[in-house]
Amino acid sequence: MNPITYLRPGSVDEATRLRADFEEAKYLSGGHTLLPSMKQGLARPSHLIDLTAIPGLRGIAVEAGDAALTIGAATRHVEVASSADVLRVVPALAGLAGSIGDRQVRNRGTIGGSVANNDPSADYPAGLLGLGATVVTNQREIPADEYFVGLFDTALEPGEVIVRVRLPVPLAAGYAKFRSAASRYSVVGVFVVRTPQGVRVAVTGAGEGGVFRATALEAALSANFSAEALAGLSIDSGALLRDMNATPEYRANLIMVMARHAVNNMGRVSMYK
Amino acid sequence: MNDRLLKTTNPGGSPLINERLFKSIGKPLQRKEDQRLITGKGRFTDDFSMADQTWAWMVRSPYPHARIVHIDKTAALAMPGVLAVLTGADCMQDGLNAIQHSPVPSTQYDVKLRGPGDTPVFTGQHYLLPVDKARFVGEAIAMVVAETRDQASAAAEAVEVQYEELPWVFDSREAAKPDAPRVWEDIPGNVLVDATFGDIEGTEKAFAAAAHVVTFKSHVGRVTGVGLEPRAALGHYDADGDAYTLYAGSGGAVRQKRELADVLGVDQKKIRVLSFDVGGNFGTRNRLYVEAGLVLWSSKKVGRPVKFRAERSESFLTDYQGRDLVTDVSLAIDRDGKFLAMRAHNLSNVGSVLVSLSPLGKGSGLITGSYDIPLATLRAQAVFTNTMATQAYRSSGRPEVTFAIERLIDRAALQIGMDRVELRRRNLVKPDQMPYMNAVGSTYDSGEYEINMDALLELGDFAGAEARRAEAQSRGKLLGIGFCNYVESSIGTPKERVDLIVHADSVEVVIGTQPAGQGHETSFAQVAADVLNVPFEQVFIIMGDTDVVSAGGGTHSGRSMRHASTIIVLAAEELVMQGRKIAAHVFDVAVDQLAYDDGVFRCLYDNRAWTWFELAAKAAAAKLPPELAAGLRVRFDNEMHTPVFPNGSCMCEIEIDPETGSLEIKRYATIDDVGRCINPLIVHGQAHGAIAQGVGQAMWEGCHIDPATGQPLVGSLMDYGMPRFDNLPSFKNEIAEVLSPTNPFGVKAGGEGGTTGALAVIMSAVEDALLPICGVIEMEMPATPLKVWTAIQEGRKRQREKSPARTDARPEVTA
Repeated sequence: MNPITYLRPGSVDEATRLRADFEEAKYLSGGHTLLPSMKQGLARPSHLIDLTAIPGLRGIAVEAGDAALTIGAATRHVEVASSADVLRVVPALAGLAGSIGDRQVRNRGTIGGSVANNDPSADYPAGLLGLGATVVTNQREIPADEYFVGLFDTALEPGEVIVRVRLPVPLAAGYAKFRSAASRYSVVGVFVVRTPQGVRVAVTGAGEGGVFRATALEAALSANFSAEALAGLSIDSGALLRDMNATPEYRANLIMVMARHAVNNMGRVSMYK
Repeated sequence: MNDRLLKTTNPGGSPLINERLFKSIGKPLQRKEDQRLITGKGRFTDDFSMADQTWAWMVRSPYPHARIVHIDKTAALAMPGVLAVLTGADCMQDGLNAIQHSPVPSTQYDVKLRGPGDTPVFTGQHYLLPVDKARFVGEAIAMVVAETRDQASAAAEAVEVQYEELPWVFDSREAAKPDAPRVWEDIPGNVLVDATFGDIEGTEKAFAAAAHVVTFKSHVGRVTGVGLEPRAALGHYDADGDAYTLYAGSGGAVRQKRELADVLGVDQKKIRVLSFDVGGNFGTRNRLYVEAGLVLWSSKKVGRPVKFRAERSESFLTDYQGRDLVTDVSLAIDRDGKFLAMRAHNLSNVGSVLVSLSPLGKGSGLITGSYDIPLATLRAQAVFTNTMATQAYRSSGRPEVTFAIERLIDRAALQIGMDRVELRRRNLVKPDQMPYMNAVGSTYDSGEYEINMDALLELGDFAGAEARRAEAQSRGKLLGIGFCNYVESSIGTPKERVDLIVHADSVEVVIGTQPAGQGHETSFAQVAADVLNVPFEQVFIIMGDTDVVSAGGGTHSGRSMRHASTIIVLAAEELVMQGRKIAAHVFDVAVDQLAYDDGVFRCLYDNRAWTWFELAAKAAAAKLPPELAAGLRVRFDNEMHTPVFPNGSCMCEIEIDPETGSLEIKRYATIDDVGRCINPLIVHGQAHGAIAQGVGQAMWEGCHIDPATGQPLVGSLMDYGMPRFDNLPSFKNEIAEVLSPTNPFGVKAGGEGGTTGALAVIMSAVEDALLPICGVIEMEMPATPLKVWTAIQEGRKRQREKSPARTDARPEVTA
């Protein structure tokens, strides 16, 4: 590993200034993707700018009337998983956070880091897209539908910092995931959300372009929110991933099965392997 | 002593084995080594460091097969902290020899593997660094030594290797074809072993006359050991003494010393190897690695100690790997379900260089499994490929052939419409046939196979399985019931040495085995304690330093408990003689007036009596004549060739969710005949680990290679599925102790049986679960949810198209 300068700014402004000063600098949050990449020589930043000590980037709040949940970007998975507020207003999101990786990962990994990285198998992108969240950065507010652009790709501009995410509180939500035997990442994860405006279904782990919404499932469930409403529907495997864990056809099947499990287990995370 | 007891439980007739006085043997004593290991006091290789030590990093081939055109060290040598950049050309210049792995099993009980046309087996040349070609992805091509590990790693990237890519082959079936890319130009093709055994004519006749002929083909894929401790080596050359010291965990330091002396071209006395605690072996560390030689050689060149520690990703690429056997078997059966003859064709993938033929050889002697099959022929082949070399991996060769014969019998039962248990029952080798020579020449020492099988069916509640299947079906799940018998062999290096030393307060046992978690410090102490009638707590086992342990066969092939218990009792007999002489001298009586009985030396004409420790104290204070001056200390060498054949039965139940193909093991039971069980706590622990390791291969593990590029796809634990506690049920294991007549205690082996049957029993259950939908399945392990789901889709498609399934009915249970 090459020498790296570790920086710990006290404000978002300071962080962005540092980022502008050093061409090869990278923001660091939980580091659970960045550090392994650095060990393998796949990432070689000259400077690491640790965002986790910046006041205001951490913590969970519920807006008045339980309209929405706000989670600071540097909030760790374990904090979301065990938050009384999250458990009360969107228990499936707490379950989702508690299902990420293992205990070590949950004690370090952050929601902002996960969302900024946008791994196609990560769980939070499904949660945010399903809930219709807003990603709040130091520059603007980005709706989830516009934020997740592609594999490891987001609408963030270079240097832009996620400050928090705002998640509207739904009528109910459920998450079902099928995990890889080796990595325990989602081979397919389906986050189903009921809102007054209709049902949203976000799928992670499966799409060639990362997380996506299963609109046919949304329509069927909006008309009739039950597992039976999904009968006869299928997912086109054309744009789904192929790897050692799964073929596109298998993923298409898993999406339907996981969607049904999510619908049958609203308010919870259901895990399969 | 009771004669009947002696005959049945003390085959060697040693007067020191007295079952009625056993205080330790057979008891589940807690392990002596655990306190050390769980409090961070283990001495693993990376725990050793030396003053002024430097670090090595390997430049590894990114190609499966490439000619090394040129290596430019200039840029790397100019990097900060770099002390040396070494290549194959440097090895040649210094006259280093290729590693002599002695890869062809050579005891009189091993099958004789030969090259094509009855030629000697070509092994390839395993130089520390190659000169001509890279033959697999990850092969070390050059070595950088620098002040720090980071500097060595950075400089390794600056070593410019010019490669000329060559066509490659990784699949053994492809590699065996005449026009395949050649891994070694020294021989006409990649096939290095081609030998046929058995009664060919008789087998052909039996097949021609058989009422039924059943076949089964499969590929038992490639796995790797994934030791918790990545391999490491610390080498030091002492110019003053012109001597080398190596710290490297392995399966046996003595072997490493011998082979390193050969590589370096120096006398064995000039090399000391220290191997203490080892964080996982499973066979992967039993053969010498190039890095062990490289740190010693480079230490002499840079004049300082050199240390190497593998990354996890390097371990995945370059630890010796396991299995990889293509097998094609068939069985001739008569009208009554009696097996008449068997044919087998086994093709082993040895990788890029021959390190060991143990997997092919051990399996070859056991193709007929637990069954009395009068005639058999086997064609055993081995082939080079552009992959990491394979080596004996827990239960070398036996899970593969057990898989073949047991899956074949499951197929036979379906094909001829007979219950699979009954079909096995009619063909098991019977106790009164023991010792039983099978059709390929292996002589099974002892065993009660049918009794084991019935005990297993009881333990696993086989009778209740159909009710459980129905219950699962009511929940939309498919329950599969897997069942198999197994027999394996424990042969191993025949020679062992022990030093037994009695001090005033302790007994030391110096021995040349090398545990990696098997608990030798405990189980060997149990044996020595009961043989000498001293307290278990006062016996200490010394291993791992070749300056102390002068000879020894290491730990592999389930040999350690058998060899250790045998040599300890034989040495103890000599020690008793020595003790009587010393006691006679100290107390000034004739030797024949001194008796020894149950740990006490007694004067026959008065009431003086001394324990071992009392005698040791008196001897230390006395002036002994020269012939007794060593005190209570003997060195004993033993050679024991006769193999033993641990055996047993397994069953498991797997519930499959047809919607996702996911599999859950609901039940797993085994009966394992380990011969005499010295410590049931350790043997059960071994069984649990062995089962997990076998199940891992059947369900999750695989060293997959990308067919388009020849690149290994599995480089980390993100891709390689290890067995985990939440994927395994609580096992039901029982130990059967049918004592082997081949050694004093009747020990067989207990470390590998769990693995031996696991592949067969898991795939038996998977096939059984899918039978109504798929018929019999051609599924390579690991049986992942993807493969199971895909098989279900194909099965349903066939059912929809009403094309006849190969076997679409579950046979009626007649047992």
